[in-house]
Amino acid sequence: MSARFIAAMRVLFVGGIISFRGLFNWLNPYIYVPTMLVAPIFQVLLFAYIGRSAAVANDAFYLVGNAVQYASIPCLFAMANTIAGERWTQTLGIVLATPANRVALFVGRSLPVIVNGGFVALFTLAVGARVLGVTIPAGAWPGVLCAIAVASASCTGLGLLQAALALRVRSTAVLSNIVFGVLLVFCGANVALDAMPAWMASVGRVLPLTHAIQACREIVAGSAVGDVLGLLGREAAVGGVYAVLGLVALRFVEDQSRRRATLELQ
Amino acid sequence: MSILEARDLRRSFTSTSGMLRRHRKETEAVKGVTFDIERGEVFGLLGPNGAGKTTTIKMLITLLLPTSGSASILGYDVVDDAREVRRRIGYVFGGDRGLYERLSALDNLRYFAELYAVPAREQKARIGELLELVGLSGREGERVEGFSRGMRQRLHIARGLLHDPDLLFLDEPSLGIDPVGARELRQTIASLRTQGKTILLTTHYMFEADELCDRIAVIRQGELVAEGTPAQLKQRVTAGSVLEIDTFGGVQDRLERVLAVPHVRSATVDVRAQAETLVVALDSGSDVTAAVLAALDGIPLGRVVAREPTLEDAYVELVSS
Amino acid sequence: MTGLRSAVRVLVMGWWLQLKIVAVNAFDGVLNIVYPLFFATTALLMYRQSGSPQALVYAALGAAVMGTWSAMATSASGALQSQRWQGTLELLVSSPTRMALAILPITAALATVALYSLVATLVWGRVVFGIEVPIVSPLAFGAALLVTLASLATFGFLLSVTVVRYRTGWALGNLLEYPGWLLCGFLVPMDLFPTWVQWIARALPPTWGMDAIRAAASGASPWRDIAVCGALGLGYAVLGTYLSERLLDSARRHGTLALT
Repeated sequence: MSARFIAAMRVLFVGGIISFRGLFNWLNPYIYVPTMLVAPIFQVLLFAYIGRSAAVANDAFYLVGNAVQYASIPCLFAMANTIAGERWTQTLGIVLATPANRVALFVGRSLPVIVNGGFVALFTLAVGARVLGVTIPAGAWPGVLCAIAVASASCTGLGLLQAALALRVRSTAVLSNIVFGVLLVFCGANVALDAMPAWMASVGRVLPLTHAIQACREIVAGSAVGDVLGLLGREAAVGGVYAVLGLVALRFVEDQSRRRATLELQ
Repeated sequence: MSILEARDLRRSFTSTSGMLRRHRKETEAVKGVTFDIERGEVFGLLGPNGAGKTTTIKMLITLLLPTSGSASILGYDVVDDAREVRRRIGYVFGGDRGLYERLSALDNLRYFAELYAVPAREQKARIGELLELVGLSGREGERVEGFSRGMRQRLHIARGLLHDPDLLFLDEPSLGIDPVGARELRQTIASLRTQGKTILLTTHYMFEADELCDRIAVIRQGELVAEGTPAQLKQRVTAGSVLEIDTFGGVQDRLERVLAVPHVRSATVDVRAQAETLVVALDSGSDVTAAVLAALDGIPLGRVVAREPTLEDAYVELVSS
Repeated sequence: MTGLRSAVRVLVMGWWLQLKIVAVNAFDGVLNIVYPLFFATTALLMYRQSGSPQALVYAALGAAVMGTWSAMATSASGALQSQRWQGTLELLVSSPTRMALAILPITAALATVALYSLVATLVWGRVVFGIEVPIVSPLAFGAALLVTLASLATFGFLLSVTVVRYRTGWALGNLLEYPGWLLCGFLVPMDLFPTWVQWIARALPPTWGMDAIRAAASGASPWRDIAVCGALGLGYAVLGTYLSERLLDSARRHGTLALT
C-alpha cells in the first residue's frame, strides 16, 4: 500500500473520530440523552397518538417512520457541526491549509456521524416498540439494521451538502432544523407517499430516508431483505448523489473562500 | 466611616472532574482579604491573572457569597442587605460583553435606568448628561453591535453611573482597548475622580494605576501582599535603583550568580522580541553594576541602563517574590 | 405605591425592549414560525385522510396553538443562558430590581412573538389546506388567546428560572417541546391517555387555554377554562418568583452566574 493511501486512510478514520469528538459538543450526556434518546421517543408517541386520533394507520407505521426519520437529527446536525462548527473555533482555515486529502477528510468525518445516526434510529425503534406495544419479530432485526444503516448513510450524504451550505449562512442550526422539517413532511414518515399530492410524493422520492422508511416498514411487516433490495438500492443512490454534490460544494466553497476570504467568521 | 470595609474575606470553589468517578477539588481563590476604601478616593486593586481580583469584586457587589469573612458598603452588609448594597453601587467590567447588542445605546441605558429605579422624570436628563460625560452624545440611537470596544466600554461606564452610585467598581475597564481608546477612558475616570466619586479600579496596566489611583493594594494568590499610595509602594519595595541589561541568550542560567551579588534585591528576566532583558533591583546608594556584569561574564550583552524604579518594578517584585 | 408603579414600568419597558431584541433577530424568528409549520402540515395531512371537516378544524386550531408552546418551551429555557453569554445576567442580578421583574418581561416578549406563529399557522391552514375555522364569539376567542399567552409567559418564566444553573438548558427546552405537544390536547384528545397522564396535562396552562380557545371558536362558554388557565398562570408566576430568589441565592453561593 502506498504511503499516500495510508495517510488518506488515517485521515479518514482517525481524523474523522477525533474531529467528531472535538466538534460535536452534543456528546455531552446532558445534551445527548435529551436530544438523541428521549426526544425521538416522544416524536414517535406524538405521531402515533395523532394517528390513533385521526384513525388512519396503525402504530407500527408511525413507529418505523419516525424512528428512521429521527436519524436525520444526528446526521444533519452532527455533519453541519463537525464542518461548519470549525468556523466558530476558527480552525477551518488551519485544516484546509493542510495537504490532507479532502475527500478522506470530509468523508472521514461522516463515518462516526453515520454510526451515531443508525444507533439513534435503532434505539428509538426498540424502545418505541416497547412503549407502544408493537411487536417486531426477532427475525426482522438484521434486515431492520441493514435498512437503518443505509438510511443513516444516505441522510449523512444530504448532511454533507447541507454542511457546505451551512458554511455560508449565519445560523447553521436553523438550516439543519429546516432540512429536518422538510424531511418530516416529505419523506413519508407519517403520511404515505400515495396519500400525498403527486408533487409532494415526487419531492419525497428524491429525498433520503423515503425509500429506507418504506423498506423498513416492509421488513417489519415480514418481508425478507432480498425483497427490498431495490428500495435500499434507490435509497443508497439518492444519498450518494447528495454526498457527491456535497463534496463538490465543499470544494467550491474552499475555492471561493481563498479568493474572497469568506471562510472565517470575525 | 469608610465607604467600604472588607474583613478577612475568603472564598473557595469546589470543582468536580471526571464523568464516572467524580473527583472533588477545593481551591481557595481568596484567602482572607482585609481593606477599607475611604469616601472620594480611587482605590486600585492590582494583581496577576487568577490572583483573586474579580472574585473579591464579585463578593463585594453581591454576586458571590463569601465562604467566610464579611464586607459592608456604607454600613450595609453585602450578604444580608444585598438589595440596599445594590442600590448604592455601580459595576462595570471590561471586554465587550454585558450589553444588549441589538438595542441602541439609549435603549440599553433606559432599560438599566428602570432596573435601578431611576425616577421617570429624571431619566432623560440623567442619560443625556452621562452620554455627554462619556463622549457618546449623538451616537445614542445606534445599535451597540456597531460600536467599537472603546465606545462599548464608555457606554458601560455610563450604565454603571445611571443611579449615581456612591461607589463604582471598575473591573479591568481598559481590557483590550487600543491606546487612544484607553487614554480617553482614563480621562473619563480622571474626571469622575475630580467629581469626588469613590472608585475601586482593577487593572493590569501599572501606569494607569499610577496615574489614577490614590491608594493601591496588590493581591497575589488570594492574599494582599502590599497596600499604600503609589509613591509608598515604589519606595517600600525598591528604595533603590534598577539596572536593565539586554542579553542575547543564556541569561536564565546566570540568575543564581546575579542574585548572589551583594545589594542585589531581586532579578527578573523580561523576554522581548530579540533580547532577554535582565531587570535587577539594587539597594539604594550601592553601585554594583560591575559585579553584576561580572556575574554575566561570557554571555553576549547589549544595552545597559540604570534608572529610577517604576510602579511596574514594584509590582513585578511583589507578585513574583 | 411608587414601588408598584416602578415595578409596572420595569415590566412594560423590559417587555418592549425584549420585543425589539427578538424582532431584530429575523432569521431565528422565521424558524419560530416555520418549524412548527412543518409539524402542523404533517398533522393536517394526517387528519385530511380521515375525510372529516370537523376533524380538520380541530387540527387547524390545535396546530396553531401548538406553535406557541414550542416558541415558549425552547426559547424560555435558553433565555437566561443567552443573557449569561452576553454577560448581562450578572448585571441584572446586581441591580436592585427583583429578579422576577427582570425575567418575566423576557418570557412575555417570547409569548408575544408566539402569537405570530399562531396566526401564521391559521393562515397556512386556510390558504394551503382551505380550512376555514369559524369563530363564533370573537370576543371570548380573543380573551382566551390573551389568557393562554399570558399563562404561557409565566410558565416560561418558571421554566427559565428552573434551568438557570443547567448550562445546556436549551436541550431540556427542546425535550419539553414534544411532551407539551402530546399532552396539551392540541392534536390528540386527552381521553386517549391514561388517567395519570391526564393529571399532568391538567397542570399545564395551555391544556385549559386550548379548551377555552376551542370553546370560544365553537360558541360554547370558555370562561371556566379561561379562569382555570389564568389561575394556573398566576400560580406559576408565584412559584417562579419564589424559585428565582432561591436559585439565585444558590447561584451566588456556587459562583455560577458568570460564564467565566
